[in-house]
Amino acid sequence: MQIYLPIAELSVNLFFLVGIGGAVGFLSGLFGVGGGFLLTPLLIFSGVPAPVAVASVTGQVVAASTSGALAHYRRGAIDLHLALYLVLSGVLGAFGGVAAFALLRDAGQLDFVISFGFLVLLGSVGTLMLIESTRAILKQRRGIIVRERLPNQHNWIHGLPMRVRFKKSRLYISVLPVLIIGLFIGFVGSLLGIGGGFIMVPALVYLLRVPGNVVIGTSLAQVVAMMAATTILHAVQSQSVDILLAFCLMVGGTAGAQFGASAGKYLRGEQLRGLLALLVLAVAIRFGLSLVLAPADVFSMAVMGQTQ
Amino acid sequence: MSRLLLLLAVLLGLVAPAHAERLVSLVSNDTVEITSSFDGERMNFFGTIIPDAGSDQKFVTGPFHVVVVVLGPTQNRVAWQKTNVLGVWLNTEQVEFLNFPSYFHVLSSARLTDITDVTTLTTNLILPESHTLATSSDDWWKGAVFGRELVRLMTEQGLFGVQENGVNFPAENFYSARLTLPSNAPPGPYIALTYVFKNGEIIARKSEGFAVRKIGFERFLALSAVQQPLLYGVICVILALFTGWMGGVLFRR
Repeated sequence: MQIYLPIAELSVNLFFLVGIGGAVGFLSGLFGVGGGFLLTPLLIFSGVPAPVAVASVTGQVVAASTSGALAHYRRGAIDLHLALYLVLSGVLGAFGGVAAFALLRDAGQLDFVISFGFLVLLGSVGTLMLIESTRAILKQRRGIIVRERLPNQHNWIHGLPMRVRFKKSRLYISVLPVLIIGLFIGFVGSLLGIGGGFIMVPALVYLLRVPGNVVIGTSLAQVVAMMAATTILHAVQSQSVDILLAFCLMVGGTAGAQFGASAGKYLRGEQLRGLLALLVLAVAIRFGLSLVLAPADVFSMAVMGQTQ
Repeated sequence: MSRLLLLLAVLLGLVAPAHAERLVSLVSNDTVEITSSFDGERMNFFGTIIPDAGSDQKFVTGPFHVVVVVLGPTQNRVAWQKTNVLGVWLNTEQVEFLNFPSYFHVLSSARLTDITDVTTLTTNLILPESHTLATSSDDWWKGAVFGRELVRLMTEQGLFGVQENGVNFPAENFYSARLTLPSNAPPGPYIALTYVFKNGEIIARKSEGFAVRKIGFERFLALSAVQQPLLYGVICVILALFTGWMGGVLFRR
């Protein structure tokens, strides 16, 4: 059954859209990530214009993260104070990201920056995650009990000025690293159409030493708020949010996420991280190859100034 | 006296035959409506060539050739070329094309070059390449190369095309042509130009307009996105929050 997307101005099979939404939702439920880094490229490969894909996936990420964020909120696993700082700086970063998005699109370098950004981000995060999870798996095989680092162990980042107390995270740290993380993720997330959960979680754990029980919840709350703001920014600035496209993805995504979450119970944490690392690396390699290999077509085209 | 005869001959030779035939044509749809299930639309163009009102001809004599040119709304388009910079492929060269048609299809009853000469085709904008002449590039050669590539890209998307057997003649002076408008045809005002050729000369022409537009819910969404972007964005977010919440409620065990 074909459905006409009014902003993308093309018709796509409805079951295909709900299907990729569901498949990516399953993976996002399994690994606890938003899934934007898989959906945006998939949509671009299936013919949706890059600006529409990025802006609409932003809306889908909101939906995909909402149920998780609510569940964590009920359990009291969100540090709202910390999330507030991250969201405020994140929205500021998103303003920059959306503006850069428009500039790059007009200059014809958007595809390159998206590919390069995905390569660098996913490549480095994927490699780090793979190393970490392989070590954990190997240690477990040898029967070594892994002692996690103490959450309130300090490093030099915590010593910066402007310290604030985050009660729930049991942290008394400088706000500067918090704001910089929020700003960076807001910028990158709105530019690439990803929630940034897979950067946020390691940053909170390794840089800020946020305790494990509030990391996922806080990251999800931040993703919901920041992506909601980004959706509105994209809608106002480039008018390229396709609500119908986003809705089809949301329906598939939220359903798939529930199945993914229950499937995730059968795998251990380090196995999940290892698999996610492989997935992230595969996407990074795909983007890396598109930069280095000779393109099938050296010519491309676009409509200038998206006026209706 | 001889000068007067010459003038008469010129008038007869040029004016009279040029106005001897008239084209009566029809387009099957005056609007193509884009609904949620829009998957392209089939259109028919047909018409008949009859003697002109003022002439004393009783019937027309062929053979005629008919060319139907369908033009979509114009946009400014840019074509990019990637080159290898330090091992990485980057868009480095670009040429902008002003008022470039977003849709362009030519249907004809024979090979275009058999119907008339290239000059006539180019001056009447019947060849796809004739739309690529208004460029931002000062370099004529570069503009021509990029123009050819742009036409190729548009053709690959189904937005440009030349069907040299697209017009049929069921009778000597009656033609019909069929065009399938693709689902990615951009909305806006379209124009269908019909040219009748005889011995390589245009003897009659006619233009008809039709509109491709979104209707109902699709139109409402597209308009809101442009006219009320802030509200539209907020509604998107509310929809996303609601869907996410619903998903959690429905599937919770």
